[in-house]
Amino acid sequence: MPLTGVEPARMNRKKGDKGFESPRPYKLTHQVVCINNINFQRKSVVGFVELTVFPTVANLNRIKLNSKQCRIYRVRINDLEAAFIYNDPTLEVCHSESKQRNLNYFSNAYAAAVSAVDPDAGNGELCIKVPSELWKHVDELKVLKIHINFSLDQPKGGLHFVVPSVEGSMAERGAHVFSCGYQNSTRFWFPCVDSYSELCTWKLEFTVDAAMVAVSNGDLVETVYTHDMRKKTFHYMLTIPTAASNISLAIGPFEILVDPYMHEVTHFCLPQLLPLLKHTTSYLHEVFEFYEEILTCRYPYSCFKTVFIDEAYVEVAAYASMSIFSTNLLHSAMIIDETPLTRRCLAQSLAQQFFGCFISRMSWSDEWVLKGISGYIYGLWMKKTFGVNEYRHWIKEELDRIVAYELKTGGVLLHPIFGGGKEKDNPASHLHFSIKHPHTLSWEYYTMFQCKAHLVMRLIENRISMEFMLQVFNKLLSLASTASSQKFQSHMWSQMLVSTSGFLKSISNVSGKDIQPLIKQWVDQSGVVKFYGSFAFNRKRNVLELEIKQDYTSPGTQKYVGPLKVTVQELDGSFNHTLQIEENSLKHDIPCHSKSRRNKKKKIPLMNGEEVDMDLSAMDADSPLLWIRIDPDMSVLRKVEFEQADFMWQYQLRYERDVVAQQESILALEKFPTPASRLALTDILEQEQCFYRVRMSACFCLAKIANSMVSTWTGPPAMKSLFTRMFCCKSCPNIVKTNNFMSFQSYFLQKTMPVAMALLRDVHNLCPKEVLTFILDLIKYNDNRKNKFSDNYYRAEMIDALANSVTPAVSVNNEVRTLDNLNPDVRLILEEITRFLNMEKLLPSYRHTITVSCLRAIRVLQKNGHVPSDPALFKSYAEYGHFVDIRIAALEAVVDYTKVDRSYEELQWLLNMIQNDPVPYVRHKILNMLTKNPPFTKNMESPLCNEALVDQLWKLMNSGTSHDWRLRCGAVDLYFTLFGLSRPSCLPLPELGLVLNLKEKKAVLNPTIIPEAVAGNQEAANNPSSHPQLVGFQNPFSSSQDEEEIDMDTVHDSQAFISHHLNMLERPSTPGLSKYRPASSRSALIPQHSTGCDSTPTTKPQWSLELARKGTGKEQSPLEMGMHPVASAPLSVFTKESTASKHSDHHHHHHHEHKKKKKKHKHKHKHKHKHDSKEKDKEPFTFSSPASGRSIRSPSLSD
Amino acid sequence: MADAAATAGAGGSGTRSGSKQSTNPADNYHLARRRTLQVVVSSLLTEAGFESAEKASVETLTEMLQSYISEIGRSAKSYCEHTARTQPTLSDIVVTLVEMGFNVDTLPAYAKRSQRMVITAPPVTNQPVTPKALTAGQNRPHPPHIPSHFPEFPDPHTYIKTPTYREPVSDYQVLREKAASQRRDVERALTRFMAKTGETQSLFKDDVSTFPLIAARPFTIPYLTALLPSELEMQQMEETDSSEQDEQTDTENLALHISMEDSGAEKENTSVLQQNPSLSGSRNGEENIIDNPYLRPVKKPKIRRKKRILKKVLNSANINFPCPGASVGAAGPG
Repeated sequence: MPLTGVEPARMNRKKGDKGFESPRPYKLTHQVVCINNINFQRKSVVGFVELTVFPTVANLNRIKLNSKQCRIYRVRINDLEAAFIYNDPTLEVCHSESKQRNLNYFSNAYAAAVSAVDPDAGNGELCIKVPSELWKHVDELKVLKIHINFSLDQPKGGLHFVVPSVEGSMAERGAHVFSCGYQNSTRFWFPCVDSYSELCTWKLEFTVDAAMVAVSNGDLVETVYTHDMRKKTFHYMLTIPTAASNISLAIGPFEILVDPYMHEVTHFCLPQLLPLLKHTTSYLHEVFEFYEEILTCRYPYSCFKTVFIDEAYVEVAAYASMSIFSTNLLHSAMIIDETPLTRRCLAQSLAQQFFGCFISRMSWSDEWVLKGISGYIYGLWMKKTFGVNEYRHWIKEELDRIVAYELKTGGVLLHPIFGGGKEKDNPASHLHFSIKHPHTLSWEYYTMFQCKAHLVMRLIENRISMEFMLQVFNKLLSLASTASSQKFQSHMWSQMLVSTSGFLKSISNVSGKDIQPLIKQWVDQSGVVKFYGSFAFNRKRNVLELEIKQDYTSPGTQKYVGPLKVTVQELDGSFNHTLQIEENSLKHDIPCHSKSRRNKKKKIPLMNGEEVDMDLSAMDADSPLLWIRIDPDMSVLRKVEFEQADFMWQYQLRYERDVVAQQESILALEKFPTPASRLALTDILEQEQCFYRVRMSACFCLAKIANSMVSTWTGPPAMKSLFTRMFCCKSCPNIVKTNNFMSFQSYFLQKTMPVAMALLRDVHNLCPKEVLTFILDLIKYNDNRKNKFSDNYYRAEMIDALANSVTPAVSVNNEVRTLDNLNPDVRLILEEITRFLNMEKLLPSYRHTITVSCLRAIRVLQKNGHVPSDPALFKSYAEYGHFVDIRIAALEAVVDYTKVDRSYEELQWLLNMIQNDPVPYVRHKILNMLTKNPPFTKNMESPLCNEALVDQLWKLMNSGTSHDWRLRCGAVDLYFTLFGLSRPSCLPLPELGLVLNLKEKKAVLNPTIIPEAVAGNQEAANNPSSHPQLVGFQNPFSSSQDEEEIDMDTVHDSQAFISHHLNMLERPSTPGLSKYRPASSRSALIPQHSTGCDSTPTTKPQWSLELARKGTGKEQSPLEMGMHPVASAPLSVFTKESTASKHSDHHHHHHHEHKKKKKKHKHKHKHKHKHDSKEKDKEPFTFSSPASGRSIRSPSLSD
Repeated sequence: MADAAATAGAGGSGTRSGSKQSTNPADNYHLARRRTLQVVVSSLLTEAGFESAEKASVETLTEMLQSYISEIGRSAKSYCEHTARTQPTLSDIVVTLVEMGFNVDTLPAYAKRSQRMVITAPPVTNQPVTPKALTAGQNRPHPPHIPSHFPEFPDPHTYIKTPTYREPVSDYQVLREKAASQRRDVERALTRFMAKTGETQSLFKDDVSTFPLIAARPFTIPYLTALLPSELEMQQMEETDSSEQDEQTDTENLALHISMEDSGAEKENTSVLQQNPSLSGSRNGEENIIDNPYLRPVKKPKIRRKKRILKKVLNSANINFPCPGASVGAAGPG
C-alpha cells in the first residue's frame, strides 16, 4: 500500500515517534546526474539522470518522481523502456475557463496542486510505469535503475543563465549559469525526488567548455578533456547522503582562489574580480574555526566551495558543501559598510552548511528546527565577532520585526500540524495563503518564520543554558555523521534528518528539563504577547504597585502565563524580580529596598556593579525609583508598552548600560519634547563609550524633539554645534576636516548626523536655511584624498540628507513646474544632485551608492512638487544592464509614481517587467515593492482597479509564474493587497451570486489532489489482481515503439513522444486506470509551456493528428486558448466536482443551496448531482473534451 | 683642381660674406673661421688624392670637422673646470681626445707626415664684441674674503629682492576653500562638457540645459564598474597605504585621531573589521604545495573513454549501493 502509508507515517511522527517512515514505496540510494551539453547561446542543457532505487513493497508498479520544465525523452528501467506520464497541476492552478477571481479559491486550489506533486507526500509530476518484465524482479525487492534522458530549453526557473551580450567567446563574455530557487527547487533542472528527506549518494558529471569551470557538490574526483580537447568533464562524487534539494551547480569562466588558510576550501568568482575575492574571503577561516569550536565537530564535508555569481536569486544560498553568493557581496579593503554585511552572509551560509545541508529535515513542519539552529549559532557568531552590544541590538531588532509582522498579519506558526486537511483545522486561516507547503508561503512570511525560529532557539537556550544547547547540537551532528558514514545501510541515513520530536527528545535527554510549555507557547502556537505596563509607588508601604495588562484578543497575539522578569533600578541599586503572570492577576506588588533619601550624597550602584554619581534633582522626591524595565532579557516574544515618567526614561537612557534599554528609552523620549530630554540625548550623542547605534538613533530622536519644541528652541539647530565640535576644523568651524574614517564609530555618526539634521523644521515647517547651508558646505568641503577608505557611502548619505531637507513646494494655482519658479534652495540641491549623478558616470562609486541616493532624491523633489513628476528618467535607469541596486532604486520610484499619479501605463510597464525581466531578483522585488506601496488597496476607489487588471494579475499568479514558487507567492501577495481575499469589487456585479457560491464551496474544492491519490490507492488495493490485467498494457506500447521511429531531437516530437506514451498508458481499461484518467488528462501534458497547454484541439481522437498540431501549437497564445474554452470547460469542472464529491455531505448541501445561478453552472451542478461515483468515471467522454481525445475510447485505438 | 674649386668656392662665399661684413662683425668672424676650415678640408681631400669634390660634400665634411673641433673644445673646457681651472691645458685636450676614442699616440706621427700641406693662417678678424647687457645699478664689489680673480657679482637686479609685506596663502581655511572650489569647478566643467557632447536627460521638459544629466547607459557587465575600485581610488589607496594617514594638513585631526585610538572602544571596533589578516601567514601557505582538485591538471581523454567512464560510473554506483536487505528490514512495512 504505497500511498496509504503516508498519512499514518505523519501521524506517528506527531505522536512523538522518532522513526522516519518514507512516504515512498521505494528507497533511493544513489543518483547520477550527467549533463553532457550546455549551450549558453540557446540556454539549453542536455543530460540524463540515473536513480538507483530499491523497492520497499512487493507490488511496486509505479514510481513517482519530481520534474518540472524538463523535457523528458525517454525513461528506461534496468535497460527496459518504461512508459511515463507527465502531469504538473501547478502549471495552471485554476483552469483558464474558470471565471473565479477570488483569492480564497485560488489559495486552496494552489495548495491542492502543490500537494498533488509534493514529494513529502510521495507524489511527483512524473509517474513512471515499471515495465511488466520487471514485476517479478520488483517483488523480490531487487534494485531498479531508472535512467532518464532529459533536456532543458531556456529554463525560466531552477537554472539561471547569465549571458552578457558582448563580443567574444562565452568564457570571455563572462557567461555563466547556476542553479537557484526557493526551498526544494531542484526538480526544475533535473528529474529527482525533490525532497529534503530522501537522501542518497551522488555522482555528478558536467561537460563544459574548456575555458569554463563547473562547480558542484562533493569532491571533484577528476577533470577530463573530451576527444576534441575543446571541452572538459568535471566528475564529482558526493558520498555523504544528501537530499536532491541540496544539489547545486555553477558553471562559468570562474577565477579560482584556493583559501590560503584552508586548502580544502576553494573560492570562485567571475573574471577580473579576483582581488576583491581575495579580500572578501580572507576572513572566512575564522568563521569556520568558530563554528567548529562551539559545535565541537569538524565541518562535515571534505571540501567547501564558495561561488560568487551575478544576478543571484538570493544573496546567500547554501547547498551541500558549496554556497552560492551574489557577486555584489564582493568588496575591496576600502569599503567599510559592506564589510560586516558580507561577513554576516558568509557566516550565515556556513551555519546552514551544518544545519540545513548536512542535517536535513524530515518534513516541512520540522523546518523551524533547522532554521532555528542555524540562525541561533549564527547569532552566537555575531556575539563573538561584533560584540554583545551588536548582538543584543540585533536580537531586539529581530524581535521588533517579528512582533510587528505577527501583529499585522496575525501570527507565524513554526510547527504547523495538519489534521485531516479539513478547513476548520487550518492553523493559519488568518492568512491568504496555505502554510502547509513551503511553496505556497509568502516570502515575507518565510523570512519572518526564520526570524522567529532563531528567536525561539534563543528562548530555549535561556531555559536550558547554552552549554546544554550546544551539547544537543553536537549530539545531532555526531549522530548524523555516524549515519553518513554507513555507506551500505541506507536505512541509517534517516538519522541525518532532524524532526521536531527528535530535537525535543534530545533536549530533554541532555538537559533533563521539560521545555514542553515553552514549545507549546512559541512553536505549536502562533502569535506574540502584548504587554501594557504602568505603575504607582505606594509611599506608605514602600511598595511598587505594578500593573501589567495583556492584549490577547487582537490578531497575532496570544496570552502569556508564566514567569516574567522585571528589573527595578532604585537608589540603592538594581533589583530583579520575577513575577508570575497568571490568568487574572494584573497587579503585582513589588517591595522597594530603598527609602527616598536623595539628600545623602552617595553613588548609585547599577546592575553591572558599576557605581555612578547621578544628578537626582529631576526625580520625584517621594519615590526611590529611577527606572523600571519589563522583561529586560527579551525572554518572551513580546511587545511592551510601559508607562513611566519622562525623567525615568532620561535616567534610563543615561545610566542603564544595556543597549536595548537605551534604545527603548530613546523611542519613549520622542513623546517628551522637553529641554531635559534634549540634554539627555545630546549627552548620549557626545559620549564616546556609548554604542554607536544608540547614538545614531539618538540623532533622529533629537531631530524629532527639536521639531516638537520648535517654538521654544534656543541656540543653533540641534546637533550642529556637536557636529562642528566633533568633525570640523578648530580654526574654521564651517569646514569639515578631511575625511578620516579610521574610527568606524565616528564614521557612522558622521554619516548619520547630517541626515537627521536635515529633518529639522522651523516654525514655517521648512528646513532651516542654516542647516541646508551646513549640509551643502559638508558636500563642498568633502575631501577624501588622504583617506584610507572610500567615502561613497558618506557622500550618498549627504545626498539623502539633502533629500530629507526638501519640504513640499508652495504651489500657486497648481502652476506647472518649470525652472523659472524653482525655489532657490531647491536649485542649489538640484545643482548638487546633477553634479553627483553626472560624476557617477565618469567615476562610478562602489555599488553606485551615489546614483541610488540621487535617484531617490529626485523622486522626493518630484513628489514634493519642485520638479515635474515624470517617470521617464527612472524608467531608463530601471532597464536591464544597470547595476541591480540602481535598478531597484529606479523601480521603487516608478512604483511610487504609479501610486501617486495613478498611472495605468506605468503599472502595465511594471507588470510587464515582472513577467519578462531576465533577473529573478528584480521581478521579486517589483512585486514586493508593489505590495508594500500598492497603487490602491481593496477598500479604495481607483481608476486603476478594473477587470482587465484583475484578469491580468490572475493570469500572472495562475499560470504566468509557474516556474518560480516565490514569484507566484509574490503575485498572490500583491493580489491580496489590491483586492483582498474575496472577489475584487471592480468586477461586474451579475456574477456575485456565483462568487458566494464558490466561496463557500472552497472547502469542497480543496482536495483537488484526491482523484490521483484515490486512483493510486485504489490501484494499490487492486494491485495483486491488476498485474495480469496490465500485461496487455505493455504490449501495444512495445510494438508501437518498433513501428514508430521518433526523432528525439526536436521539441515537438518529444512532446508527441510523451503523448504517445500517454496514449499507450491509457489504453487498457482497468478500473484503477480509468479512475486515474481525469486527473491526468485534464492537466498539462506538455512539460514546459505553461500557457495554453491545457487547450488541445477540440475534436480528434487520433494522436497522429495531434502530433502535427503540436508542431505549430507549441507556443499557443492565451488568445488562441480562449477559442476553446467551451470544449475544455466542462471537463475540468467535472474533474473538480468529481473530486469534490468525495466529501459528499458537504457538497450536496451547497448544490441545493444555490439554485439561482448562471445557466451553465446550474447545468453542471445538476449534472454531477445526478450521477453516482461510478458513472462519474465515464462522464468525461460525454463531453467532446480535448483530453478525452486521448482516451481509451478513441475509435482508432480502442482495440 | 679640387683645391682651386674649393678655394674658388670659398672665395665666392668669402665675397658674399664680405658684402655682409659691414652689417655684422660677428657673422664675419664666424665666416672667416669657416672658410679656413673649408680650406683645411679641401687640402686634406687633395692630400687624400681627390681631384675634385662637390660643394655639398665639402660643406658636409666641414660641418663634421667643425663639430668635432667644437666638441673637443667643449669637453676640454669641462675637464678644466672640473679641476677648478679656467684655462684648458694640454692634458685636458689629451684626456678629451682619449675620451672621444682618438688614439693620441698617432697624432705626432700624423703631424709630421711628409705630404702634409701647409695652409696660410686665417686672416685675423676681430673677436666679436658681446653687446653690453643693460646694467641696472652698480655691481657689488667683492667682499674682502673673496679673492678678486673670482667672477664679478652679476647685475644687482638678479639678486636683489623686494620684500612684499603680505602673508603668503598658507591659511588652512583658504586652502581648503580653494581646493574645494577648484575641484567643484573642474567637476562641473567636465560633467557639463560630457553632457554637451553626449546624450542627456532632463528633469524639466522645457529646459534641457540648466540641469543636464548625462543619459543613463546600460552596461553589458554592470557589476564590474559597480564593484571594482576605480583607478583613481586604487592609486589613492596605494598612496595612503604607504604614507601614514596621520600626515594631515590639519594638525587637529592628528591629535583627535590619536586620542580616539587610545579609547578602548576604538580598539574593539578595529578588531571587528580587521583589515587584511597577517600577510605573512598567507605567504607561508602559498609556499607549501597546495593540493586542491581545482589546481590539478586536466586529464587527457583515454581511448574509448566514453564507454569506460560509463562503466566506471556503473561500477562505482554498484559498490556504493547499500544492502537492500538491510534497508527493507528497517524501513519496510514489516
